[in-house]
Amino acid sequence: MVVETITDGGVLYGLLAVGAGLATGLAGIGAGVGEQGIGAAVVGVVAEEPGFLGKGLFLMLLPETLIIFGLAVSLILMFAWTPFA
Amino acid sequence: MCRVVVAGSNKVIEPVIEKLHELNLLHVVNYSGADETFDMGKPLGKSSEYAEQLIKLRSIERYLEITDKMPDKQFPESQVLSQMDGILDTVGNDVIATAERIAEIDNEVKIKEDQARALKPLAGLTLDMELLHGYKSLASFVGTVASPVEADVSKVSYVNEVFTSSSGGTNAVAVFVPVEKAGEVSGVLAEHGFSEVSVPGGLTGTIAGAISTLESDAKRLEGEKAPLVKKLKDIRAQHEDLILAIDEHLSIKSQKAESPLRFASTDNAFVIDGWVPTDQFEALKREIESAAGGRVQVEKLDGSEADKLVEAGEDIPTKLNNPGVVKPFELITRLFAIPEYKEYDPTPLIFVFFPLMFGLILGDVAYGLIVFIVMMMLRRKFRTPGWQSLINIVTISSIWAIIFGILFGEIFGPLGLWDYIFSGAHYMGLLGTVADPHHVGVDFGSGFYGPLGRIGPEIGSFAGGVFPMYRLATASVLVLIGVSLFIGIVHTGIGSVLGVKNELAYGEKRHAYFERLPVLLFQVFFGLGLLGLIAGGLGHPLVLLSALVIVISIIMMVKGPEGVMGATHIPFFVSNLISYLRLLAIGLASVGVAFAANQLGFYVLMPMLSGGAHDGFTTIAIVVGIVVLIMVHFINLLLGILSPFMHPLRLHYVEMFTKFYSGHGGGVEYSPFGRVRRFLRD
Repeated sequence: MVVETITDGGVLYGLLAVGAGLATGLAGIGAGVGEQGIGAAVVGVVAEEPGFLGKGLFLMLLPETLIIFGLAVSLILMFAWTPFA
Repeated sequence: MCRVVVAGSNKVIEPVIEKLHELNLLHVVNYSGADETFDMGKPLGKSSEYAEQLIKLRSIERYLEITDKMPDKQFPESQVLSQMDGILDTVGNDVIATAERIAEIDNEVKIKEDQARALKPLAGLTLDMELLHGYKSLASFVGTVASPVEADVSKVSYVNEVFTSSSGGTNAVAVFVPVEKAGEVSGVLAEHGFSEVSVPGGLTGTIAGAISTLESDAKRLEGEKAPLVKKLKDIRAQHEDLILAIDEHLSIKSQKAESPLRFASTDNAFVIDGWVPTDQFEALKREIESAAGGRVQVEKLDGSEADKLVEAGEDIPTKLNNPGVVKPFELITRLFAIPEYKEYDPTPLIFVFFPLMFGLILGDVAYGLIVFIVMMMLRRKFRTPGWQSLINIVTISSIWAIIFGILFGEIFGPLGLWDYIFSGAHYMGLLGTVADPHHVGVDFGSGFYGPLGRIGPEIGSFAGGVFPMYRLATASVLVLIGVSLFIGIVHTGIGSVLGVKNELAYGEKRHAYFERLPVLLFQVFFGLGLLGLIAGGLGHPLVLLSALVIVISIIMMVKGPEGVMGATHIPFFVSNLISYLRLLAIGLASVGVAFAANQLGFYVLMPMLSGGAHDGFTTIAIVVGIVVLIMVHFINLLLGILSPFMHPLRLHYVEMFTKFYSGHGGGVEYSPFGRVRRFLRD
């Protein structure tokens, strides 16, 4: 009975979707944690010296790539990977 | 740019400075004082006078709250000269006196309000103000306490006088005892939570009366202040442009007078070093020589001499030179760094890629149109050069957003107005289009992971195809992944080509061919390999070729100047490419919100309020539905302007600029000696 439920394609697709969600969501949290420190520091520096804005933005946006990694994994899970086809 | 030396007799220094300032061509290199033969020049005659006048003018500007702006009026030099004294003296003194009076009033009002607030708790005491202090043999304690004090005060000092009152939870107390008992009584009072109120001098009558006097005084002073504030406003409205014109005039005068400080000089002669655009050199030479009546020598240093100076630490100034449409995008370049003289100015590339990326992300006809209209309106309001550049950038970008909006079939998101306008029907099964193998549209064949699906549903008599391409459909997502990666390959590829070019310009062949070139090969073929994998699987010839080139590029990196360490950068290059997926991802997020809003409006709220009917909505249902739609779309648009701006910015700064920019640090912008007149005219 239990075995039947687990091999059921629908449930596995559901788990796939949960995994995809976790991949993007957790990556987002990670990027956020990374950016919080940088952001605070950049705001501090820009308040002192406005000319630093460009370089500050550059540093601030570096961790954003993390989300994209998570998203790439999600996209592969959702659209490209078809284990039950 | 060419390196120029202007040398001449001190007798002609003034006409030479005048001419240089007027030409606005020579980027002056400040004399460092390193040479013993030369001293630093001395400022010309009236420089301190100009400086003083400028300081006074700036303080007037500060009081009037005048800041730099675009000119509404322009003044001839003669008018500025004739009115300058009037503004600086009569008007200026008036402004300063008025502003100081306002500050005084503010101060007094604050003091009076503070005093009134402090006296408030004592209002119940039936003592007059003058009785509260000023005794020789008595010590007075006036303030508030937490509990009754009479009994305890009597214990330490038999001779005492205690007045109390209590209102609204505060107990006011005034205790009078002989001076010698002051110490003990103060100890007793402290036990009862005594907190002293400092009684202001100069007030008479009852305490309540004193409070109301203070309050009415404060009000009267406020009344006195209002006309003064209005007067400053009137003066500002009347003289704003003139004051800014005088500021400009004095700045020019003082800039000229102080300029010799930047030159090298001896007792009889001066030497000015600087850079000038090569094609302007002849004009500069001719003009200066005629201005000084031939008593000056203008010479161009040849290449090797100039190179020596550059090696010794002198920067060749960079003049960003772009045609009108491209010019606004210099803002983005500047925000990062001014390119060095020999480096490539990436502004034209930003002009090509930035709006394209913005459009690809926003991609909605209505959103694009709204942004376009708003920018047209802001254009008149914000007229400083910085804002103008920003507005121009967003305007150009919004046009791309409209173009992509047509391609994606989005007017306020999918499932919304587009379907109503162009097909008179709406598609519930949008997300399921791929599952239907008989659906009309473009078939993308099969890839490594299975069928790639089709794009675009059937619209009326138009038999589908790639147009309009609903972004939320599975096949569209796959195509957009490919498009994003492709843009990434081109974008970073161009960056790497520029990297090679820059290194060659500096004569660093080894860096060019073994550090920059392998990066180019690696990224391009990594991307191509990925596309090949999606399109045809592992055996696809493109995949095999890519694998070969990637191996070669890694070997080149290892052979390069950084050795094995060079190869450690590889994950960075892979993440650079994947980073371009944000072009798809951020767009999808905003489409998702718009899609949800339209679902809510057209398929949930409107049918629900019309009693479940899917066509023929009631008026109230349409009104409520539209209000909700406007709200959600407005929020989505606000969020949707920021992201499409920031993320392409990042793709330029992090993914592209790092390929060629950072190697040699920032440059110095060409800023010639002189000034563009804005408020003055000839």
